[in-house]
Parts: sequence; structure tokens; C-alpha cells
Amino acid sequence: MSNLNVYLKAEQNVEVKTAEVYLKDIAKIYASDSHMVNKIKAVKIYTFYAGGPKRQVISILKIIELIEAACPQVTINSLGEADVLLEWIKVRKHKQPLQFIKIFTAGAVSFFGTAFTIMAFHNDISINNIFRKFYEMVMGQPADGYTILEISYSVGLALGIIVFFNHIGGRRITKDPTPIEVAMRHYEDDVNKALIATADREGGSIDVD
Amino acid sequence: MWIKQIFLALCGFSFGIVCSAGVFTVLVAVGLIPRFAGKFHVAKHILVLEEMVVFGTIAGGLLSIFPLFSGLGDWVLSGRLFGGATGMIWQVIGSIICGAFGMFAGMFVGCLALAIAEMLDSIPIFARRTGFREGIGIVIMVIALGKLGGSLLYFSQAMFAY
Repeated sequence: MSNLNVYLKAEQNVEVKTAEVYLKDIAKIYASDSHMVNKIKAVKIYTFYAGGPKRQVISILKIIELIEAACPQVTINSLGEADVLLEWIKVRKHKQPLQFIKIFTAGAVSFFGTAFTIMAFHNDISINNIFRKFYEMVMGQPADGYTILEISYSVGLALGIIVFFNHIGGRRITKDPTPIEVAMRHYEDDVNKALIATADREGGSIDVD
Repeated sequence: MWIKQIFLALCGFSFGIVCSAGVFTVLVAVGLIPRFAGKFHVAKHILVLEEMVVFGTIAGGLLSIFPLFSGLGDWVLSGRLFGGATGMIWQVIGSIICGAFGMFAGMFVGCLALAIAEMLDSIPIFARRTGFREGIGIVIMVIALGKLGGSLLYFSQAMFAY
């Protein structure tokens, strides 16, 4: 009898809340025999222990070895990542008040920081001088007080930001991800790749040899 | 006359839109906000941070474009909002607002400065050229101390006056 084909699609980064990590936590598995799929899903990959590392990189080769040890009569086709980064998340980390303080701090830095940046930028280019001169050029006479330029500039600035970030007050304008969400994914990918590469280089990853 | 006003309005409007595009392309390119979200583990609430970026920029823009209408302290003091002791109470509240603004804006600018340095790969290149592997943490610490010293020197010696 020929071997059963099993298709394995591993994730790059997996956050687990329990100390025991099973294959179903880190990969999608498909095979024509659903009984075999369930058996493979229950293969234990790694066990975190208190005081040990909170992160572990595991090579897909090690995972294949474990699966074949548990179910010798299968052929595994890996379609996902070559290395899996496991992170053991304490449930405590998502407690509400602490979470709120973190969001508050990050939000305050973003708010005051960008307010400062735009003020520094306006100060740098002497925006009120530009507006005064521009008004004089167009109208032929100096402005007294604020003009239509300042008002329309502010409207344009606000509109530009909102269109750029694609949402206002928690409501998205279109269904695209916002630029910061895209940047966030890039950043997460970069961090995962760096952690996996570091683990490989320093021999911290679990591999077949 | 009103044609000129419409022309001015169009100009101001397009200045604003293009400025915000320019400023925010830089901000997104250095990837500061994702870094904050990553450090604080609040990636789920990244929309809140983006809202703060949007409102912060709008607030800062309004404050710097309309300085004559932005005198919060004048408004509070002349209106005597807290009765007889307004001066003393506002001294405390105003100091808290200024302290919060200074600290958070400082954190943001510090992150921005190093994020730009990092985007240009200056630290990894420097480390590779000089050939050291350990002690990157010390270098970062020294950079931070240098920034602190430079900033204090700048304000204490009134370098902005030159």
C-alpha cells in the first residue's frame, strides 16, 4: 500500500497560551483521510517550562520527523514556512487596566509627537510668512489677520491626512488596510525573520541535527 | 475679487493636501507607529494610535497656523474660569499640560531620530565597519546620553538665539 499524502502548511509565528504545543496550533493539515489528520494534529511539538525560554524556533524538518515517528505510513508535503517561531504568551499579559495604560501611553506619544512634528515643520518653513506673502502677491494688498488661505490650508491638511490614513473616528472610508496596518505587518515579518535567523545562527532552534 | 479669493482657497487647499501626504509618507516610511504598537503589545488597537496621529496632526496644525486664536492660557485667565484662585490653579494645570506635552513629544522625536538613523542602516553599517559584535547596547546608551546632553546644552546656552 502506498503512503498517504499529508499536506502541511505551517505559520511563521504562533502565539500559544498553553505550555504544551500541538501540531494543530502551528499548522494547517490536509489529507484525504480525516482520521489520520486528527491523529497528526495531536502530535506534540514542544513543551514550554517555567523559567525556560519564552520563545522557541522549530525547524519544519524536526516537525516532519516528529510526525513520521508518530505515523510512519505518511508522506508529508510542507507548503508553509521552513521555520516556526513559537511564543509562549502568559494570559496575564492581556489584563485590562495594564492594556489600557499601554494604549494610553502609546496614544499620548503619537498625539503629542505628531502635534509637535507638524508645529516644528510649520515653524521651520515659516508658514505664516509664506501665507502673508502669497496673499499679498495674489490680492495686491497686505492681509490683516487670518485669510482664506489659512482656513483652506487647514481643511486640506485634515482631509489629506484622513484620506491618507483611510479612516476617521474608527470608521474606515474604504476596505483597504490602512498604511500603518500594512507597515505593522511588514514590521512583524521583519521581527520574525530576525528572530528565526538569530536562533539559527546561535543554535537556539530545534532542528533535526 | 471673489475670483481671487476662490483661487486662494484652492491654493491653500492643495498646499494642505500635498503637505500632509509628504509629512505622512515620511512618518509611515520610518515605521514609528508599528514600533510603538509592537513595544506596547497593542497591535490589536492600532486604529486608536492612528486616530491619535490624525488628531495630533490636526491639533498641531491648527495651533501653529492660528496662533492668535490658540491662547488657551489667556482665555482661561481672562475668563477667570476657576474663580479667585484661577492664577494659582492654572499654574498647576498648565505645568501638567506642558510637562505631558514635553515628555511625550520628546519621546516621539527621540524615536523618530533613531528610526531615521536606522532606516539608513547607519548603526549596522557602523558596527560592521568597526568590526565589533558586542556592545551595541552601550553604543545606543551613549547615543541617548549624547542626545540628552546636546539637548540640555542647546536650551541652557540659548543656542536658538544665534
